[in-house]
Amino acid sequence: MNVFLAVLWKDLVTEWRGRDRSVAMLVFCLLVVVVFHFALPGGATRETQELAPGLLWVAYVFAAVLGLNRAFSVELENDALTGLALVPRDRGWVFLGKAGASFVILGIVQAITALVFGLVFEIGSLGDVLPLCGIVALGSIGLCSVGTLLGAVAVRTRFREIMLPLLLLPLLMPILSGSVRATTELILNGQVPFEPVQLLIVADAVYLIASFVGFDYVLDE
Amino acid sequence: MSRSTVSARGLVKRFGHAAALRGIDLEVPEGTTLAVLGANGAGKSTLLRIVAGLARPSTGRVEVAGHPATHHEARRQVGYVGHATLLYPSLTARENLIFAARLYGLQDPGECADRALDREGLAEVAGRLAAGFSRGMAQRLSIARGLIHDPAVVLLDEPYTGLDLASAERLARRLSDLRGSHTVVWVTHDPERAARYSDAAIVLSQGRIALRAAAETLDAPSLEAALGAPDTAA
Repeated sequence: MNVFLAVLWKDLVTEWRGRDRSVAMLVFCLLVVVVFHFALPGGATRETQELAPGLLWVAYVFAAVLGLNRAFSVELENDALTGLALVPRDRGWVFLGKAGASFVILGIVQAITALVFGLVFEIGSLGDVLPLCGIVALGSIGLCSVGTLLGAVAVRTRFREIMLPLLLLPLLMPILSGSVRATTELILNGQVPFEPVQLLIVADAVYLIASFVGFDYVLDE
Repeated sequence: MSRSTVSARGLVKRFGHAAALRGIDLEVPEGTTLAVLGANGAGKSTLLRIVAGLARPSTGRVEVAGHPATHHEARRQVGYVGHATLLYPSLTARENLIFAARLYGLQDPGECADRALDREGLAEVAGRLAAGFSRGMAQRLSIARGLIHDPAVVLLDEPYTGLDLASAERLARRLSDLRGSHTVVWVTHDPERAARYSDAAIVLSQGRIALRAAAETLDAPSLEAALGAPDTAA
C-alpha cells in the first residue's frame, strides 16, 4: 500500500508541476469536439445523439493513449524506471500507483470534455451525470490498467510512440464495446442496461489482475 | 539487520547473440568490499544490475541474502547507485528522498530524507528541484537515495562519476564507513581507489573474470597490469 500511495503521490505531484500530460490530453479532446461540431448536424437531433457516445469515447481513448505514453516517458529521464524496478515489494503496487494516477488525470480531462461535449451538442441532462460518471469510471479502469502495463512494455521499444496504440487498441475492444453501448443507451433512453456494464466489470477485473501480476516481469530487463 | 552475502554461480547474460557475461562464479562474503574493474563493455554494469535484481540472467543463479536476486526480499537488502541518478527532475531533493523512503516502507520518510541530505551535505539545497542540480550534486543525491534504507548490500556503479574533489573525499569516507559493516560491490575504472577502499577485486574481460585479487594480493599495479590497456584507468 505504501508503494501504491508513494507512486500515486509522485505521479500526481510531477503532473501538477508540469501539467504537460493533462494539457495535451485536454487540448486533444477539445479539438475532437470542435472537429465533430463542424462534421455533425447542429442541434439535439436523433442522429447526433446516436453518434455522440462513440465520438466521446474516441476522444477519451486517444487522449488516454497520449497520456499513457507520457506517463512512462518521464520515467526514462535519469533512468527513474530502474528506481521503480528496485522496489522491495511486489512491483504490482507500482503498477497500481501509476494506473491510479493516470485514472485521476484522465478522469479530470474526461469530466471537462463531457461538459463541453454536452453543451456543444445539446445532449444529456443533469440526471445523466451520475450514471455517466459510473460508465466512464468503469471504462477508464480497464483502459488505464491495460494501458499502464502496455505503456511499460512500449517505453523500452524503439518505436514507443506508435507501439502503445498498436498494442493497446485491439485489447480495448471489450472496454470500448461495453462503454459505448452503455453510454448510447443512457443518452437515448436514460437507462443503463446491465449487459454492457457486466462486460465492463469482467474486463476490468481481468485486466487489473493480469496487469498487476504481469508488471513484475515487464520491469525486468 | 542481517548482514548478507552475494553469490553468483555460472552466470551468463546474453543480449540477442552477444554475450555480456560468460560464466561468472562469484562469492562476496558478509562485510566485504569487492571492487569490479574492467574495460568498457567488459560486463561490469551488467553484473551489477543482475545482482541488484534488475535483470534476469540467461543462465546461472544469483543470490543475495539467501534469496534469488530478483525476489523482493533480496531487493530490500540492496542499495543500488547506477550510472543514471534515478532522480525525478520535477521533485525537490527532499521530495526525491521522501519518495525513495516511501518505496522502501521506512518509518518517518521526512526524517530519513533529512538525515540523508545532512549526510551528503545537501541540506541547504533540500528544497531545490533536482532539475537544477549540477552533475556532481545530482550524483550525491543519487548516492543518498541509494543508501537511504541502510541496505546490507551496497552496489555502486562508478560512483565517482561527476564528483568534484570535496565530494569525492566525502564518498571515500563513506566507502570507508561502509567497509566491514556492509557488503559492498562497486564498479570502478580506478585501480588505486579499488586497492585503497576494497578487500578484494575482480577484473572482468569480455564477460569473464580475468583476475581475482584477494586482500593479500590486492594492489594498484597488479590491477593496472590486469586491466591491460592503460586508457581504461580513469
